[in-house]
Amino acid sequence: MFSFTLKRLLAVIPIFFFATLLSFILIRLSPVDPAEAYLVAAHIHPTDELIAQKRHEFGLDRPLPVQYAQFLIKMCRLDFGTSYLSNEPVWQEVQRRMPATLQLAFSSICMAVLISIPIGFFSALYKNSVIDHLSRLLAFFGASMPQFWLGYLLIYFLSVKLDLFPVQGRGTIVHLVLPSLTLAMGLIAIYTRLLRSGVLEQMQEPYVLYARTRGIREKVIMGKHVLKIAVSPMITGLGMNMGKLLAGTIIVEEVFSWPGFGRFFIEAIFNRDIPVIQCYVFLSACLFIVCNLIVDVLQMMIDPRISLKGRTGH
Amino acid sequence: MTAIILFISTALLGCTSQEGAPASDEQAGEAKKTITISWPRDIGPMNPHVYNPSQLIAQSMIYEPLVNYTEGGKLEPHLAESWTISPDGKEYTFKLRQNVTFSDGTPFNAAIVKKNFDSIMMHADNHSWLGFIGVLDKTAAVDESTFKMTLKQPYYPTLQELSVVRPVRFLGEAGFPDDGDTAKGVKQPVGTGPWMLSDYKTDEYAEFTRNPKYWGDQPKADKLVIKIIPDGDTRVLAFEKGDLDLIYGEGVISLDAYKQLEASGDYETRLSEPVATRQLVLNTTNEALSDLKVRLALQHGFNKQAMVDGVTSGFEEKADNLLSTNFPYTDISIKPVGYDVEQAKAYLDEAGWILPAGKTVREKDGKPLELELIYEKAEQIQKPMAETLQAEWAAIGVKLNITGLELTEQIKRFRANDFDLNFFSNYGAPYDPHSFIQIVAKKGFGIADALANIPGKQELDQQVHDALLSTDETKRQQLYGSILTTLHEQAAIVPISYVKKMVVYHKNVSGVEFPANRDGNAFSSLDIQP
Repeated sequence: MFSFTLKRLLAVIPIFFFATLLSFILIRLSPVDPAEAYLVAAHIHPTDELIAQKRHEFGLDRPLPVQYAQFLIKMCRLDFGTSYLSNEPVWQEVQRRMPATLQLAFSSICMAVLISIPIGFFSALYKNSVIDHLSRLLAFFGASMPQFWLGYLLIYFLSVKLDLFPVQGRGTIVHLVLPSLTLAMGLIAIYTRLLRSGVLEQMQEPYVLYARTRGIREKVIMGKHVLKIAVSPMITGLGMNMGKLLAGTIIVEEVFSWPGFGRFFIEAIFNRDIPVIQCYVFLSACLFIVCNLIVDVLQMMIDPRISLKGRTGH
Repeated sequence: MTAIILFISTALLGCTSQEGAPASDEQAGEAKKTITISWPRDIGPMNPHVYNPSQLIAQSMIYEPLVNYTEGGKLEPHLAESWTISPDGKEYTFKLRQNVTFSDGTPFNAAIVKKNFDSIMMHADNHSWLGFIGVLDKTAAVDESTFKMTLKQPYYPTLQELSVVRPVRFLGEAGFPDDGDTAKGVKQPVGTGPWMLSDYKTDEYAEFTRNPKYWGDQPKADKLVIKIIPDGDTRVLAFEKGDLDLIYGEGVISLDAYKQLEASGDYETRLSEPVATRQLVLNTTNEALSDLKVRLALQHGFNKQAMVDGVTSGFEEKADNLLSTNFPYTDISIKPVGYDVEQAKAYLDEAGWILPAGKTVREKDGKPLELELIYEKAEQIQKPMAETLQAEWAAIGVKLNITGLELTEQIKRFRANDFDLNFFSNYGAPYDPHSFIQIVAKKGFGIADALANIPGKQELDQQVHDALLSTDETKRQQLYGSILTTLHEQAAIVPISYVKKMVVYHKNVSGVEFPANRDGNAFSSLDIQP
């Protein structure tokens, strides 16, 4: 297990390198000059002299390899430079906004897990029953409905019409419910179906039959054995869906005026605030890698055969 | 499982706090009048001398100008009680208002005015878009209440430019950093204005309370809360729920949403006087558009009234004048260019652009009459207008290609003179009409370059120069009249519609007004019945 984790950790280095290089190149492929974008956003008329001055100030007049090297060196010290837009250190901006984004993401995952496990499990247990049909319907809606639209619908019915939740903002735990549900819906759609098929598959396995013949109670078989193994693909799905969750956070933060980093990132894109964009890409890459690593380790803990397979293969 | 739930609940609660929302008056046990509005962006660090990310609307609540721009372009004393201008138009001497203090109790005097000017002029390049900054020679605190500005050359719009929201407004001593350079940040937002920032949470809300030391009329409401809501539709839903008392601004909600709120009859809705003119700039350096007849044909070739009504649902008003007549010097008599397809076709025939048999696009020397219109793709009105023009002009044999661009790219191509047609809007009060005529003459903004091939351009530029330097009111009026008439006759800038601000508010809100200054606010008059 140690060598497996170490190997995965070493693989992180080239991934970071490619992620940062790709974002560095992509930003510079854009026809919009960040210096000009800054001036336009600041309502300052962009004259040639001012643009040249700002380009120099932002270090954009240096050769591209030098800019990239400087970015990498600074990044190792967690120095992402100063935001063109807010004139504050990007890392400070991240620290100010990231807790809100992480809170939203974390509560969405919790909500997705807490809702999809019982629904997925019971729709498999009571296949073709009302609960199964309802869960299918929920999955259809969750998977096909754009998040912003779902967000507006939830606000309209649960907040404006029924006055159950606040429309927007962050403050109390009640403020968390609608944005988290909006973000979680896509995940719920996937996980309920994943879990349902996983449980159904496991129920056909010989060990279930042997357990029954040994007289083990049905509740124990299902809860302790079937569910435990059926949950494994869900964990993989969770790791793979981190990207979707991050992208969703940006939209949900916009719709619910959630004061997270996603909103700041959107403004950064429109204004070509390169330090902020680069920092976001770096953090996203980190999150992806760490989540996938955690998922792999978790799966290994749940199902030791994965580790064994790896060893035999090696 | 119980342990997991407990852990999750603790974690979520740990990240959450009741401090996140402004304390309601009921909580505080006070019966205060609070008005809640929204704004798409965080109000920023409230630095009066810099631009983004500080928001004009909030800056104008805390900081005040020497001179106030009022309806019809009239300039009234504000922090300056009176002023005199030397006969050569170079020396401006301001008598400052007595007994004005900053919100922290420190006095407002000539020394602090001078200190603010010094800080602004440390970064004069950043403010070069303001004409008077470019000609400002020196400033002096003559005595406790007299401040003098000397210009290198006369520049009549100096007073208008002193009334803009930034950067020439005044920060109290306590707000200055140790080296006096406010471009690096301010310690605290201390101004002389009617409001004080009392609570603020980045990206969430800003709460303003009355400045008890304010020298003028106190605001009617005790508190004004600005909630940061970036999304227009969420803003409408928050308003319908009653979380917002008022929605105010330009383009802050969609036209459909405005119409829907208006039609419901549950709320009050109002539109302002024109704040700017939506225009179409025809680049005369394009071979086809260098011909006045082609430009006139294009103007006659689309139904402006139908387009403006259809696209903006009556939110904007058809414009015949380049600048609406509620700006100074702009009330001139012109003959509007009407919708006349036959006349448009005749002009194109006269210009040599003939429709070959069996073809849909006119040609001249084998070259088709094909033009490109660039528009900002994120703006809700430009695209449908571009599509309308494309359809309308196709009927007279003109092929219009439309290209949606990001705002920065649109401005870049405009400045580089890399376009055939482009949408533009003048700056509004208090910048116009002088800023508009300046860019007619000054290259690098897009307009002057696009007008390069109109006859008598040099004479037009000279008239602009004379108008800006003129100290004679009558002569200035004549020059403005001549400039605007020439521009109208040359048809290279086509007025389309008058842009307006909108306001939607609940029926218990009163005292709703629009500020004369496009970037300002009129929140002091707002009142609410609980």
